[in-house]
Amino acid sequence: MRTISNNQYLLGLILAIPALGLGLGYWQGQIDSMDLIQQTGEWSARLMILAMLLSPLVAAIGRRKWLTFLLFHRRWIGVAAFGYAVLHLCFYLIDMGNLDDILAEWLAPGIWTGWAAMVLMLPLALTSNDLAMRWLKAGWKRVQRLVYPSAVLVLLHWVWVHNSITAAFLHFLPLVILTLIRVLKPWMSPLKP
Amino acid sequence: MRRFLPALFVATAMVALPTAPAHATGAITCKPTPQSRWKSQDALKAQLTKQGWTVRKSKVDGGCYEVYGTTPEGDRVEAYFHPVTLEKLYVARRGEVLFRKKGY
Repeated sequence: MRTISNNQYLLGLILAIPALGLGLGYWQGQIDSMDLIQQTGEWSARLMILAMLLSPLVAAIGRRKWLTFLLFHRRWIGVAAFGYAVLHLCFYLIDMGNLDDILAEWLAPGIWTGWAAMVLMLPLALTSNDLAMRWLKAGWKRVQRLVYPSAVLVLLHWVWVHNSITAAFLHFLPLVILTLIRVLKPWMSPLKP
Repeated sequence: MRRFLPALFVATAMVALPTAPAHATGAITCKPTPQSRWKSQDALKAQLTKQGWTVRKSKVDGGCYEVYGTTPEGDRVEAYFHPVTLEKLYVARRGEVLFRKKGY
């Protein structure tokens, strides 16, 4: 177990690969800031979904070694999701280029949902460390549950800004199904014949 | 709280997914027309630039031309144009519909 848990830096590196790829593409001028907004946003959502998926997945299929590893380092995944969200916001700001344009659209359905999701992610990221965990004790879990309203906002943001439900739907579907299974489990009586 | 938020998440997601946009794939679609009758994207860009637009990017989407750019009024939008007539069909700003031609 120790050898696996020591691989957390490897996990961090893996989580950074998309960012490195996108950064290189931007540097070489192959990807412009408009495409980067979409790419970084999608990676943020993917990692958020992955982090949220782990415990319902354990509930559904039972413990697996790789699941335990990911669950153990779930905070890294969450922080990476926030990191990509920050990049997403940065490239949005770069792409917009001025405050007037940003303020002009900030109440549009596809935009305020993104800002709100980001605001909810902020306390999650800030408390994703041992110190905050010790300090907040049981309250830490409660803070981390902000991820649920944040995920709903991410979903709406994606659907509205993209004018399409397909990509957002495909990404969120596994999470919705697994969460549904976990929520319904107590009501699905094991005593049935 | 422990079960409430996940349950609420599922419920909202299930309501949000099918109802959020009135349109399932892309904003609007254009009836199929033979490509030979299409005007070029460059012609569309030239027309829009003349009208005061700034065009960032254009592509084909749902049988229409889709353009990302800034309107003469200064709004950052995503707009759709008919590939044959280059007529403006739909203009939206991040999910907020600013213009939609009747029938589209």
